[in-house]
This record gives sequence, C-alpha cells and structure tokens, in this order.
Amino acid sequence: MMVGQGLDLASLGSQLLVGLSRAMILFIVCAGLSFVLGVLRIPNVAHGSLYMIGAFVAFSFFTLFGGGSAGFWLALILAPLVVALVSLIAERALFCHLYQREHLMLLLFTFALMLIFGDLVKIIWGADYRSISAPALLRGSVSMFGASLPRYNLFLLILGPLVAIGLWLFTNKTKIGKISRAAAVDREMVGVIGINVSWVFAVAFVIGCYLAGLGGALIAPTVSITLGMDHTIIIEAFLIVTIGGLGNIWGALVGSLIFGVTQSFGVLFWPQFAIVFPYAAVVIVLLLRPRGLLKSVW
Amino acid sequence: MKRIVTMRSFVLGVALFGILLILLPAQAKARPIKVGIIDCYTGPAAMFCKEALNGFKLALDKINKKGVLGSKIEFTTRDTKFKVDIGLSMAKELVMRENVDLLVGTISSGVALAVSDYARREKVPLIVWISKSERITGEKGHRYVFSTGENTAMAGKAAGVALAKKPFIKYWIAGDDYEYGHAIANTIWSSLKQRKSAVKKIGESWWKVGEPDLVPYITAIMAAKPDAVIFAAGGASMVNVMKTSKATGMSETIPGWIHTATEITILRALGPGGPEGFMGTTDYLFYHPDTGANRKFVKAFKDAYGKHPGFSGFHGYITAHFIAKAFKKAGSLDREKFIDALEGLKIRSPAGKIEMRACDHQAVLPIFLGVTKKTPEYDFLITTDITTVTGDDVMPSCEEIKKARGK
Repeated sequence: MMVGQGLDLASLGSQLLVGLSRAMILFIVCAGLSFVLGVLRIPNVAHGSLYMIGAFVAFSFFTLFGGGSAGFWLALILAPLVVALVSLIAERALFCHLYQREHLMLLLFTFALMLIFGDLVKIIWGADYRSISAPALLRGSVSMFGASLPRYNLFLLILGPLVAIGLWLFTNKTKIGKISRAAAVDREMVGVIGINVSWVFAVAFVIGCYLAGLGGALIAPTVSITLGMDHTIIIEAFLIVTIGGLGNIWGALVGSLIFGVTQSFGVLFWPQFAIVFPYAAVVIVLLLRPRGLLKSVW
Repeated sequence: MKRIVTMRSFVLGVALFGILLILLPAQAKARPIKVGIIDCYTGPAAMFCKEALNGFKLALDKINKKGVLGSKIEFTTRDTKFKVDIGLSMAKELVMRENVDLLVGTISSGVALAVSDYARREKVPLIVWISKSERITGEKGHRYVFSTGENTAMAGKAAGVALAKKPFIKYWIAGDDYEYGHAIANTIWSSLKQRKSAVKKIGESWWKVGEPDLVPYITAIMAAKPDAVIFAAGGASMVNVMKTSKATGMSETIPGWIHTATEITILRALGPGGPEGFMGTTDYLFYHPDTGANRKFVKAFKDAYGKHPGFSGFHGYITAHFIAKAFKKAGSLDREKFIDALEGLKIRSPAGKIEMRACDHQAVLPIFLGVTKKTPEYDFLITTDITTVTGDDVMPSCEEIKKARGK
C-alpha cells in the first residue's frame, strides 16, 4: 500500500548508510560469536548477555566519570575490558573443563549462563531503564545527500571497518591469531604438533567476548539499556552467523551487511511489514546455500 | 501400676491437646487477607512491575498498622515472565495452593485477559493494575475483573481530543508490533478522525518489540515528511523512540506524540539530554496536581525507594487502598461481598478522589496531557502546558460498555 513512499535518491542514500551503520554493530557482536564458534566450537548463547553487560558497565563508567564526553570515551574503552575480564574468569573456571562435551551440553550450559547473567544484571543494576548520551562531538545529525544522518551512525561506519581490519591483522599477522585460525580448521592437528590448545582457547574466547562487550558499549548511547537486550541480540546474531557460515568472521560481516541493509530498505519500501525483510533474506540465503554464504568451519 | 499412671497421663495429654486444637481456631485472631500478585519481574517490563509492587507495599505498611477486619493484608508474588501460559499457571497455583482471596497484576494485556477469564470461571476477584488494553474492562469485562489503571480507550480518546486542536494534517503512525501498540494507535486515530475529518494518515511502520535500532524507521519517516508522528510504543521502546528522534534531528522538525512519553520512568531514563517538545499523556504526575496529598505520597515514596513515583507506583498504591477499603466496607472476607463493596467505591488518592465505576469496574482516572521541557529543578525533563482531561470525559459510557459486552 505504501510502496514507493519517499523514494528519492536522498532518502535511498541515507537509508543505505543507516543500514550499513546498523550492520557495523551487528558485525562487531557477531564476529565475536563466530570467532568463539569457530575456534572453541561453543554455540555461546550467553554472548548476548555479555553484550548486555557491556552496555550496563558502560552506563556505570559513564555515570562514574561524570557523564560528559570524557565519561563516554572512558566507558567505551573500559566496559569491553570488564566484559573480557568476566569472560576470562568464566572460561578458566567453567568453560575450560567442558570443551570435550557434546554441543547439546554446551548449548544448555551457555543457556544456563545466560539466565544467571540476566539475574545478576538485575541484582546489580536493578530493573530501571538506563541511558547514556553520546559525546557532544557525536550528537545531532549531519546532512548527507540532502537527507539527515545521525553523527553517531557515521562514527559507527568508521569504527566498524577499523574493528574488521583489527581482527584481520590479529588472525593473519599474529602467532596466536594464526594458531587460533588453525585450531578452527583442525584442532586435533594443532594439539598434535605440541601447541597448548587450552590457552589458545582462552585467548580466543576472551577476544570473542570482548567484541560482545564492545558492541554493547557502542549501542548504549542509541538505545535504552534494559534487561532483555540479551535475548533480542542473540537471536539475530545466530541468524547472521548461520547465513554467513558458522565460525567464519568474514561470513559474519557479509551476514550483518545483508541483515542491516535489508532491514533499512524494508522500512523504506514497505514499512508495515519491515520486520519480515531481514528474516526473508535469511530464508532465501539458507534455501540457496544451506551451509551459509562463506565457508563454514563446522 | 506405674505404667498405668503414665498411660493415663498420656491419654489425658492427648485429649487436652485435641480439645485445644478444636478450641484454638475459634479463639484465634481473624485470618489475614491474602493477595496473590502475578506480574512480570524479568525482562524490560520488570521496572514498571517492581514499582507497582513498591507502591502497593508503601500503602500496605500504613494500612496494616491499623489493620483490616482485625487482621492484616499479606501478599505473595509470582513472576509471569510476560508469558500468558506462565501467568495463567501462576494464577492457578496462587488460587488453589496458596488460597489467596484475590489476584492482582499484571503488565501484559495478554496475561491479564487470560487470567481474567480464569478469574471469571473460578469466581476469584482480579484487579488489573498496569496493563492497558481497553478490552479488559470493555468487551471482555465481567463481574470478577477490575482495573485501577487507565486504558487505551481513555488514553487514545484524550490524545485524539488534544491532537485535534493542533494544526497537523498529515500523520504517520509508527510503533511496537503487539496488542498494546495497535490498540492505542487504533483508538487515537479513530478519536482524532472523528473530531477532525481533514487529517490524513500518510503511512505506518511497525517494528518488532525490543527492536534496538530505530534509526532506519525514523529516517524513513522523515523522508515522507509528515506534519506529526503518533508513536504507539510502550516500555523501553519509548526511550528508544525519543533518543532516536533527537539523534536524527526529527524532534526539532516533526513533533511526536506517545502515550506515557511524559511518564517519569521514561524521562528519568533519558536524563537531561531528552528531547524537548515531545507530546505525551499519562494518568499520574508526581508534581501535578501540586496538592498536599500528592506531595506527602511523593515524599513517602521517595524516602522508601529513593526515587519519585511514576504511574505504576501510583496504581500499586491506590490498588492497596481500594482493596483495604472494600474489605472494610464488606465486613467479611467473602469474595462476592468484596466485589459488591468495591463496585462504586471511592477512595482519596494522591491525585484526588478516585471512583471504581460500578458498571464496568474501571477506575475513573484523569489523563494529563503535556509537553516535555527542561527545568533547573530536576536532572531530567518534566512536562509543561499540562491540560487535564477528566476520566468521565474520555471513558466509554456505561451503555457503550454494555453494547461492547453484547448484553
């Protein structure tokens, strides 16, 4: 009924950019999930909880440092580190004893963790809606192609590729990155040649979870930080990881781009049924390529 | 011989104990009134439910000092997790195992409607305190269900009255894709259209509940250039709408309206950086009307829980007072007598006198319309230009209710 509303070049352009910026946060979170999935073979349902914790911790640092621009930047740096620390403790205390178990067990275990993290967040931060504001530099919107785009989304558009490059450098240029890539392909072989797989796993897990925390801290200024954030993101994240190819970081990037852009164009072309578009894209991809677009390591 | 004596004293002891057992209940104090509360204490809705419970507790503290029918009001809570099946089984458990005298809850209209149906079949009173579907006391209403909160019919009608006075012609409707979102959008639109036939709906967009990123929706709406946007959003989504409309610059160019956007829980979450000029309605404001009763309630609430009360805290508070007063009036714990007493009952509340309308069991609450604004007094926005619409003006008439219920 509303097809064709506002279909000029300006809104198309801005809608594309908005979709891309949404894809960047999705990519950051999903790359972490995919990395853990690839290296450790753990379908970490609690990944969404770490994202939620990242947002809540960002809120705490933001208020601790007075709530200004400095507060935002410090929160953005520190919150993912706190999440990384939490994940390190979880890995050393719990996960490292469970790697030999079957996937279903791990799935149930991480599901239990998700519930525990959810309740912990409620105990620590309460049920109130929390919010942090972007620094003055990133507030307001800029005019692009005659349509407005929030500055913060522009910031995400710059940061997303930087994270992607960082991940590429880590997996291709560092020793531990190379080992973890090798472990993703054939972990027995890595163990056979005498590498201590346990600490590789720990590092990979912490990096994956760091990315979840970073995603949470990044989304914090654009939404209300609330209980239940974990559920929303984890479903989308698993869909994206699946269409991209399980365990493949670049698959996560492709999947996020498809998800983000189909959503924002769906909203423009057919707003009443916009919800359907990204999921329809997922169905089409899986019909054509059941194992995902890029090579799955599973 | 010795054995016989022991035997005899044993029998005597048992007999005495038996007599005591028979006599005790008759002499014991009246039993406490048990209220079973089912509400959502997990997920994003938990905030409102916790606050309603806080308001309820605050009122009970005072009520129980004097006592009701020679005893106290006690309560137990159960978490519905916002799910109909869980809510229903919790309600059944409270009625059958905990033997509660009445049920109170919940934030989800879906759960409220399901439990209401159960309450009707089991003849257990249910007081709905947060959920806003007009069907609860409208077409699906019955003898055993009451509502102490405003509903979509009242809020929608009030918004229609207010928006009809504004110069806007082209509207866009956007919101959360669930019962509450569509219900409130429909009533506002029909109320507005009825008062001002020139208005045009140029588009609609609906996002899934919990959608974190609304920027694509808002930029698409801005591209369509409506005169104003009606947001049919609830809970945390309202915060997202207001943040996004500020970030995209929409709040400066296209006015927006949300029911309960002016509610403190939302404005407090936004902090001093919330968008000014956003229109909204709510049935309770902690600073308006500025009466002694309201100030006293706000102070007590703030002392107890460290923050100002919002509408759900207010609803919890008046619910406790309705329950206490109705039991006092009924003079017994009988459920049918309680219902008879509650019908048409008036209580004094922080926001003035409130009546429980007898014909549909809906509390007659005022609706406050206002616009968000920064003030130096608070570190969050409050509302100004407050217009009050009385409950009688926006509630469906008793005849309309009868017709809706098909009698």
